[in-house]
Amino acid sequence: MEGVHRMTGAAQVLDRPVARVAPWRRRGLRRAVTFYLLISPWLIGFVLLAAIPLVMAFLMSLSNYDGLNLEYVQFVGLENYLRAFTDPDAQHALGRTLLLMAVVVPFSLALQLALALLVNQRIRFTSLFRTIFYLPYVIPVVAAAWVWKIFVDPTGGLLNALLGVAGAAVNVRWLVEYPTVVLALLTIWGAAGGGMVVFLAGLQGIPAEYREAAMIDGANRLQVTRHITLPLLSPVIFFNLVTGIIATLQILVQPMLLAPGILGLSPGTVPPRDNYLYAVHAYLEIFVKQLFGYGSALLWLLFGVVLALTLVLFKTSRRWVFYGIEP
Amino acid sequence: MTTWTTRRQLLKGAGVLAAAAAAAPILSACQPTTTSKSGSGKVVVMTDPNEFNDDDRKTLEDATKLKIEIVASDLTRLYAMFAAGNPPDVFRVQAAGVPQYISRKMVKNLQPYFANSKLLKPDDLAPANNFYKWDGKVVGKGDLYGMVKDWSPDYTLFAYTKAFDDAGVKVPSDSTPLTYDELRALANKVNRKTAGKRVYWGFVHSNNDQWIDRTAMNMLAEKGQTLYAADFSKLNISGNPEALKVIRYLYDLAADGVQQTPTDPSPNWMGADFNNGQVAMLQYGYWFSAMAESDITKGKTVFLPAPTWSGVRRDPTMTATGWVVSAQTKDPDAAWAVFEQYMGGKPALDRAKSGWGVPGLKSLYKEMPQQSAFQQQVQKVLQGELSNADFVLQFNPYLSEQAFSTSWVKNLEPALKGSITFDKFVQNIETEINAAIVDGKRIVGN
Amino acid sequence: MSRRRSTATDATLRYLPVLVAATAFALPLAWVVVTSLKKQSEFGSSLLPAAPQLANYQLALSLLDFMKFATNSLVLSSSYALIVVMVSALVGYGFARHRAPGRGRLFMLVLATLMVPNLVLFVPQFVIFAKLGLTNTYWPWILWALGGSPFAIFLFRQFFATFPRELDDAAEVDGAGPLRIFFQIYLPSAAPALAASAIFMFLWVWGDYLYPILLLNGDNTTLAVKMSSAYVDPRGNPLQTVTMAGVVLYVLPLIAFFAAANRFIVRGIVTTGLKG
Repeated sequence: MEGVHRMTGAAQVLDRPVARVAPWRRRGLRRAVTFYLLISPWLIGFVLLAAIPLVMAFLMSLSNYDGLNLEYVQFVGLENYLRAFTDPDAQHALGRTLLLMAVVVPFSLALQLALALLVNQRIRFTSLFRTIFYLPYVIPVVAAAWVWKIFVDPTGGLLNALLGVAGAAVNVRWLVEYPTVVLALLTIWGAAGGGMVVFLAGLQGIPAEYREAAMIDGANRLQVTRHITLPLLSPVIFFNLVTGIIATLQILVQPMLLAPGILGLSPGTVPPRDNYLYAVHAYLEIFVKQLFGYGSALLWLLFGVVLALTLVLFKTSRRWVFYGIEP
Repeated sequence: MTTWTTRRQLLKGAGVLAAAAAAAPILSACQPTTTSKSGSGKVVVMTDPNEFNDDDRKTLEDATKLKIEIVASDLTRLYAMFAAGNPPDVFRVQAAGVPQYISRKMVKNLQPYFANSKLLKPDDLAPANNFYKWDGKVVGKGDLYGMVKDWSPDYTLFAYTKAFDDAGVKVPSDSTPLTYDELRALANKVNRKTAGKRVYWGFVHSNNDQWIDRTAMNMLAEKGQTLYAADFSKLNISGNPEALKVIRYLYDLAADGVQQTPTDPSPNWMGADFNNGQVAMLQYGYWFSAMAESDITKGKTVFLPAPTWSGVRRDPTMTATGWVVSAQTKDPDAAWAVFEQYMGGKPALDRAKSGWGVPGLKSLYKEMPQQSAFQQQVQKVLQGELSNADFVLQFNPYLSEQAFSTSWVKNLEPALKGSITFDKFVQNIETEINAAIVDGKRIVGN
Repeated sequence: MSRRRSTATDATLRYLPVLVAATAFALPLAWVVVTSLKKQSEFGSSLLPAAPQLANYQLALSLLDFMKFATNSLVLSSSYALIVVMVSALVGYGFARHRAPGRGRLFMLVLATLMVPNLVLFVPQFVIFAKLGLTNTYWPWILWALGGSPFAIFLFRQFFATFPRELDDAAEVDGAGPLRIFFQIYLPSAAPALAASAIFMFLWVWGDYLYPILLLNGDNTTLAVKMSSAYVDPRGNPLQTVTMAGVVLYVLPLIAFFAAANRFIVRGIVTTGLKG
C-alpha cells in the first residue's frame, strides 16, 4: 500500500472563510463538498425516512406503550432497560442467539468462500453449479422453512430415509429433538448463495495477472490463495462477516416457522426452548404481552450488542483488512 | 471544476427523478387510495378474508349504498393503525379481547344503536352476545359493544367411531355427558401409536393449547371458581386447590401423550387430523360439524355433549368471534350500517343456513341445516347444549388474548422434556402472568 | 508439478468437491419437487409419489391469481432494485473514494441503520406512511430506494475500496470530475457488484412478507404474502403438496433471472478490460 497523504487541515478549513485559505486547503474543502454531494441521497433519505422512526422507536422504549391506545402512555425512563437484566427469558434467549451466531457465522463464511473458489475455477457447468448454490438464497424465508420442515419430517422426509438406507428405519424427530441443528442448517443453507455471490464478485475483481505472476514465481495454488487471493479479498470477507453477524443476531421468523406443528406464523407460536432466540422473545413480548415499550427496549439492547461487536471488528480490521485506498 | 461538479450533481439528481418518473406510471397502476374517509361514504373493515369474501362485500355494499374496503386481519397492522390514529371503522375480534378493548376506550358503545335497530332486537340476541358486555368489573354486564357473527357451545366433542371399534371400546352415549375423568381414561384407551407412527390421538382440545385458559376457566366455573382473582389482579393456581387440580388434569393429558404437544406435534391443525381419521375425540363447537365429515370420517362421526368437571355443567362459547366498531371512527353511522347488515341482514341468514355456527340471533336458529342423518344427530345434541350455554367466561381485562396460552406452551416443552418439574411449570406461569397483569393494570392507571 | 499429474486425477480434484457440495445443496430442493408431485394423502406417509400429480401445479396457479400477484411482486421488486442499486453505488463510491471531515462517523451511521432490528421500526414507519397517505401504495418502497440501502452502500464501499489508487490519480490528471470518474470508470468496472447487489435488493422485496402485510392491502400485495395463506383445501386444511408446487413456480422465474445475471457478471469482467 502506498502512503496516503492525509488531509490534516480539512476540519479546520471548514470553519474559515474560503478566501483566506491556502490553495491546497481549498482543494480539501472542494473534496469535502464533493463527498457530501455524493452521499446526499442517503443523507436526505436517512433524515426523512430513518431518523424520525428511529426517534419514535427510541421514545417508545422509554414508555409503557401497549400498542393499543396512546391515551394511557406514560414515560417510564430507563425502567424497561433495567428490566431486561432481571428477565430470565431474555438472558436464556441471548445465550442461545450468541451460541447460534458462534456456530453459524464462521461456518457460513468458510463455506461461502469455498463455494466461490469452487465455482470460480475453469470447470464445466459453472453456471449450473452457481445456480444450485444460489437457489436456496432466492427462496423466501417462509418457503425455505417449509422446505426444511418437509425435508426433516420424521415419516415423510428425505433425511430420515437417507439415514435409514444403511440399516434399520430411522425415526428421528428433528424439530423436537434437535431444533437448533435444523435452524443452523436452514440458516447456513439459505445464506450460502448470497455470500458466495459477493465473494465471487470480489474474486473476479482481482486481476488475473497477480495470480499468474505468483504462479510463474513457483507458488502453488494453496500459496496463491493464502498470500494473494485472501488478502486482496479481505474487504469482502469483512463485509460478509459483519453482515453475517448482524443478520444472525436478528433471526426472528425462522425459529417461529420451524416450531413443531402447523405451517405458518401466528403470534401464538412459541418455538422450542432451544430455538427461543432473542428477537423471538422481543417479538412475543411486543405482540403477545403487548409490551411495546419493553420489547423495543430489548431490541435496542440487541442493537447495542450488534454495534459493540461491529465496532470491535472494525478496530481489529485495521490489522487484517487491506484496502486499495485507506478508507 | 466545482461548478462543473455541481452541474453534474444536478443532472444526476435529475436522473434519479427521471427514474422515479419512469416508475410512476407503473405505480399508478395501483392507485394510491387515500385513507381519509370522513364523509367519503367508505367504511374500512378489518376481518378475515377467508370468512368474508368479495361476494359478501358486494352484498353489503348494495344493502348499505356504502363503499367497503377490506383489510386482512393482522394484529400488527391493527396496532399500527391505532397508533396512526386511523383504525379500521369495524374490526373482527374474539371474546377474549373484548374487556381489554372496552376498558381502553378503543371500541364504541353500541347500546344506543341496538336500542333503535329494526334488525337487531335485544330480545332476539343469542346468549353469546353477552361476551360483548363489560361494565368495568365483570364480563356479561353493562352495555353492548359488539356482536358475534355466529357462535357455538364450544366444549362439545366429536368422536370418530372407528377409533373406538379398533380399541374394542364402546362409543360414549350422546345423551349422558362424560365426566372429565372418564374422558381421560377413555382417551388413554383409544389412543394409539405403532412403530413411532401416530394412528389415533385419544383426545385433542383447546385448539392445540391456544385456548387452554378458556378450557381451564370453564372447568373451574363449574365449581364456582375463577382462574383470576375477582378483581383480575392476580393469577392464583398454586394457592387454590381447585385451580391446581384443573391445571394438573390438563397437564396430565399432555403428559399422557393423548394429545398433540410441543414434544409430539402434528403438522396439521386438529380439525384436519380429525378429517384424516387420526383423532378419536375432538373438543370443538357445533361449527365444526360443517366440516367434520370427510371421505374418511363420513358415517363414523358422532357429536357428543360437553363433558363435566363434576360441578354444574355449562357449555358456553369460548371464542364468540364477532365485530366491534372502533371508538375513533369518523362516521359511526356508516360503520353501524355495515355492522347491522352483516349481523342481521342477508349475510347473517346465509351464514345461518351454511351451518358454520349457531346464529347470533335466536330468530335464525331454525335456519340451521338438518338434512342429513349426521346433521339431525348434531341438532339433537345441540338443542340440549343450548340450554346450558347462557354463561360467559371472565376474561382478564389486563391481559392480552394469548398471554396465558403462550406462557403455557413455552413452559410445557421443558416440563414434558423433564428439564423442569410440574411445580416449577406452575410457578413460571404464575410469575410471568402476574407480572403481565401488573403491566396491564398500570397502563390503564389502576 | 500439476502438469505431471494425470488429467483424470486433476479432473477428480476439480469436480469432486463441487459435485458433493452441489448434491448436498440440491437435496432439500429436489425434495420440494418430489413432494410437489405427491397426492396430499401421500404426504407424510409414503416416500415417493405413486404417480406424479401435475394437478398440484394447476391448483397452485388457480387457488390464487398467481400471474397477477407475480406481476405485483415483479413490478415492486424490480423498480426498487433498479433505483436502489444506482443510488447505493453512487453513495458507496462517495464513502470509498472521497475524504471529508465526518466521513468515518457518517459511515458508522450507515452501518448502524443496518443493525437496527426492523421490528422496532414497524409501528413508527407505518405511522409515518399512514400520515403521508402512502399506505396501500408502492411509494414507501420507492422512497426507501431513493435513499439507498445501507447494505448495498456497505457492499459498494467495500468493493470500490479495493480499486487501486492510481485509477483516480490518472483520471484526475486528465481533468475528469468525480462524477465522470464514477460513471466512466467505477460503474463499468463494478458490473459484478452491481449484478450481485441488484439480485440482493430484488430478493429483499421479492421474498419479504412482513412489510407488504403491514403496508399493502389484499389486491396489490405480493406473491409471498398470498402464497403463505392461499394453499388450503375448501375446508381450510393446509395443502403441503400444492404449497411445494407453488414454491417451485415461485422460484422458476428467479432461476431464469439468475442464469441471465450470471452471464452478465462474467461478461462485465471480460468487457471492461480495465482491471490490473
